[in-house]
Amino acid sequence: MDGTTKKHVSRSLAHIVLIVASFFFLIPFIWMVSTSLKPLDQVFTFPPEWIPKPVQWSNYIDAMNYIPFFTYLKNTVLITIFSTLGAVLSCPIVAYSFAKLKWPGRNILFIITIGVMMIPGQVTMIPLFLLFEKLGLVGTPYPLIIPAFFGIPFYIFLLRQFFMGLPDSLREAAKIDGAGEFRIYWQIMLPLAKPAVLAVGLFQFMASWTDFIGPLLYLTDSVQYTLSLGLQQFQSQKGSEWGLMMAVSTMMTVPVIILFFFLQKTFIKGITFSGIK
Amino acid sequence: MKSNPVNQTSTQNVPISTRRKNIVANLAEYKYGILFALPWILGLIIFYAIPLFSSIYFSFTTYSILQPGEFIGLQNYKDLFHDTLFWKSVYNTVYFAIFFVPLSIIFGVALAMMLNMKVKGMAIYRTIFFLPTLVPHVALAVLWMWLLNPGFGLVNGLLNMIGIEGPAWLGSETWSKPSLILMSLWGIGQAVVIYLAGLGDIPEDYYDAADVDGANWFQKTIHITLPLLTPVIFFNLVMGIIGAFQQFTLPYTLTQGQGTPANSLTFYVMYLYDNGFKFFKMGYASAMAWILFIIIMALTAIVFITSKRWVHYQGK
Amino acid sequence: MKKKGKFGFLTFVLLMSFSLIIAGCSSNSSSSEGKENDGKTTVTFWHSMTDVTGEAVDEVIKAFEEKHPDIKINAVYTANQGEGQNEKLLTAVSGGNPPDVAYFDRFEIGSWAAQGSLEDLTELAEASGVTKDMYYPFAWEEASYDGKLYGLPTSTDSRLVYFNVDHFEEVGLDPNNPPKTIAELEAAAEKLTIKEGSRFQRIGFIPWFGQGWLYGWGWAFGGEFFNPETNTATANDPKVVEALQWMADYAQKYDVEDIAGFTDSQGTGAMDPFLTGQLSMKVSGPWEVSAIKKFKPDLNYGVFPMPTPTGENHTTWSGGWSVVIPKGAKNKEAAWEFLKFFSGEEGQKIFSGISRDFSVIDSVNEELGYKEDPILKEFVEILPVSHHRPVMTQGSLYWNELASAVENATRGNGTPEELLTKVTDKVNKELNK
Repeated sequence: MDGTTKKHVSRSLAHIVLIVASFFFLIPFIWMVSTSLKPLDQVFTFPPEWIPKPVQWSNYIDAMNYIPFFTYLKNTVLITIFSTLGAVLSCPIVAYSFAKLKWPGRNILFIITIGVMMIPGQVTMIPLFLLFEKLGLVGTPYPLIIPAFFGIPFYIFLLRQFFMGLPDSLREAAKIDGAGEFRIYWQIMLPLAKPAVLAVGLFQFMASWTDFIGPLLYLTDSVQYTLSLGLQQFQSQKGSEWGLMMAVSTMMTVPVIILFFFLQKTFIKGITFSGIK
Repeated sequence: MKSNPVNQTSTQNVPISTRRKNIVANLAEYKYGILFALPWILGLIIFYAIPLFSSIYFSFTTYSILQPGEFIGLQNYKDLFHDTLFWKSVYNTVYFAIFFVPLSIIFGVALAMMLNMKVKGMAIYRTIFFLPTLVPHVALAVLWMWLLNPGFGLVNGLLNMIGIEGPAWLGSETWSKPSLILMSLWGIGQAVVIYLAGLGDIPEDYYDAADVDGANWFQKTIHITLPLLTPVIFFNLVMGIIGAFQQFTLPYTLTQGQGTPANSLTFYVMYLYDNGFKFFKMGYASAMAWILFIIIMALTAIVFITSKRWVHYQGK
Repeated sequence: MKKKGKFGFLTFVLLMSFSLIIAGCSSNSSSSEGKENDGKTTVTFWHSMTDVTGEAVDEVIKAFEEKHPDIKINAVYTANQGEGQNEKLLTAVSGGNPPDVAYFDRFEIGSWAAQGSLEDLTELAEASGVTKDMYYPFAWEEASYDGKLYGLPTSTDSRLVYFNVDHFEEVGLDPNNPPKTIAELEAAAEKLTIKEGSRFQRIGFIPWFGQGWLYGWGWAFGGEFFNPETNTATANDPKVVEALQWMADYAQKYDVEDIAGFTDSQGTGAMDPFLTGQLSMKVSGPWEVSAIKKFKPDLNYGVFPMPTPTGENHTTWSGGWSVVIPKGAKNKEAAWEFLKFFSGEEGQKIFSGISRDFSVIDSVNEELGYKEDPILKEFVEILPVSHHRPVMTQGSLYWNELASAVENATRGNGTPEELLTKVTDKVNKELNK
């Protein structure tokens, strides 16, 4: 009796907190969408008008004509899908190796892995560019895709943490059954790390989708440009076309929102080990 | 691994064929370990080794991107020591990190726990909290400048309603960094997703068992949730430190590279960037990069060493 | 069995990836062969122009190609070019594969030339009969370094004080007799300012806002920033110090933090306080005219030259763009033809006519009617006495340091004398390296 009322009270409290917090978190997004539907002179009025009067849908049409929207979209999709694929294929198996397998040099290599993230990209950008130039890959989207297939330290670290949380007993039991290392990884460990792997996929999707400096440096023909480069074209010396820019920004965020909405169910799915012992 | 007291007799009693099997098994594990890690080992060598070693070399020269420059030994490092703007950028960055990292962990975990409740509509809430991370930086910068405008911004408008006269936020030397911390906390959606994935890995069985024992919400959090979340908290702590110290895009866009007001928003990597790309001092910038590396490495090492005390991996 | 299946899948993926890589390498090497088709030379041109300016340059290119049927211009929009953010151009030049022509901030020519990254155009200019007296003197000077020419100017501007005529009339100031001296400016600003507690309803003037960079005021006060003979920065020139002191005093009088609310916007577009009527006077350039037309066409305004302490020797400074040939460009001669055209009378007329940026050729400005428009006329007529920022290898550093000095001075973090001496020392140290 008392227990359930307590539960209800704490639930409602949490709801109230969530609703209030949601309001704050929604503001940037609402502003972006609202601005995307306004004519330029109404963007910065005070007091702020969250609902545009009138609603200017034409911003979206104009934006798609201002820049080669669909070409940029196609390029962005291709680059993003491949680099995400690369990350999701390479990082889990490397992370598993760091987490569960013992081999000489493992710990030092792991420290190096984290260490390379501590150098700001601004100084490694140029030598890396020169390297790609020697490989003849400047002017193509490959520098934006290939490295993902070799592993990305951020995700390797993340997945390693997850794999370490999986019981060693699972591995030992499988070994007794005569399973090989790869099979243990592929059939037992990897499925259990699904929430984390999906998170990696989502993050890499976002990172690649919104990457600016990579496409800036490596794409030399506007036919290859991505949406993030296109966004810059709305900024000119005489002031930015905020309405159009926010329209493109909104369109850019929609796919990621959809992706997130569908993936998030798997994040919270609980797992039970009850069958394994 | 915990060390076992060496017991000569026990090893001697193990039959030779089993010992050989163990060695073979270990070798097999080594082989697979390296094989699985091979893509990354290659990646490190190809994509990281050359740029990293190059940048160390550059830090000892007057490299300007356009010119190879001359070798000047430790001169860049010595000059940095005397560079007042360098120290200002260090101060700004440390200030930011000290406040932002703990806050982001506390809020992140709290938020994730709330979003983990099995209640209808949670999917929508989770998406809402993730949204700010999707808004492009340019848009965020403008939005915040507008919201925090001391004259007609929403924030001061709301404060006014409850009788407080808000500060000049981004226009004030004292309040500019707190404004930036506030803006950065907006973006904890990504960390929250990681916490959610971590929460998802905690078996229901533990909670069920605790319920049977009559534990309340608070006890469950302290004894089950938090300890089992420590691997991801550890991750977010390390990445948070790295990220905070490398803070660049948002303040750069906000102040158009100037770090206004009065260099209070000149962060370390901003100054590094200017040196490398604006002032033709990429050698100097490289020296800055490696000093930053040492600072972050030292902090991370501390976190790692203390992690043995507070991080619990389920698997062990 | 199952094991083989998994291994098989993995191998398949690896194979796919490898073939992607190989395909990439081979296809790129074939496309990087000379871009010559049917005997035409293709000139790659990187620029960051969008909107109206982008249209203008497209027209210039069209006209050029008509005149030179054997040359094709491959114009590529490149984000972040100019004003110190040149990542793409920097990497391209250092990699030895730059574009043939780049749209370049004239201010940066000195420092890039010193690094040996721009082609020397002196001989090409002489041979083609392109000379200094075709242009405004500051434009040619800014495009030269160490006696040699490194770029051809294509556009320019100047700075004046815009003022709100309605506000002037409201407080009893004569819009036909705007401030000429600093003292008059201060008096006008005081009359125009409406402050309630610590909140400004309207500010008369903010010296450092808009285009109120220290360069402008330093020159207005009669100071000099650079000694070309000794190649030293002279930021602590007594007149420059005086100018900064004036700005610091102004900041103290009106309380700089209260002002900060107005100066913190991205500064362009409809958010500008001059357009919203919260600022009565503002230093800005000719581009403001089209901004006003776009966002607040009913604004009643005028312009006057930046006041000086004596009320005489009004001056200004100009920036602008240019076209350069980066070192290592493959098609120099064809590139030069384009430079000549863009910077020549015909190209200038097309470009300036559409973009409404001033031309660097006085006769073109006259032809396009800028001297008839009451506002633009003021901007054009002051050009002959305009300054340009010092041509030196540390242009960007100097600019940044001066901006910081203004920031710190107005916030009381040090005296103008101290701050400017620090700037002088820092910049000179770098210059002497």
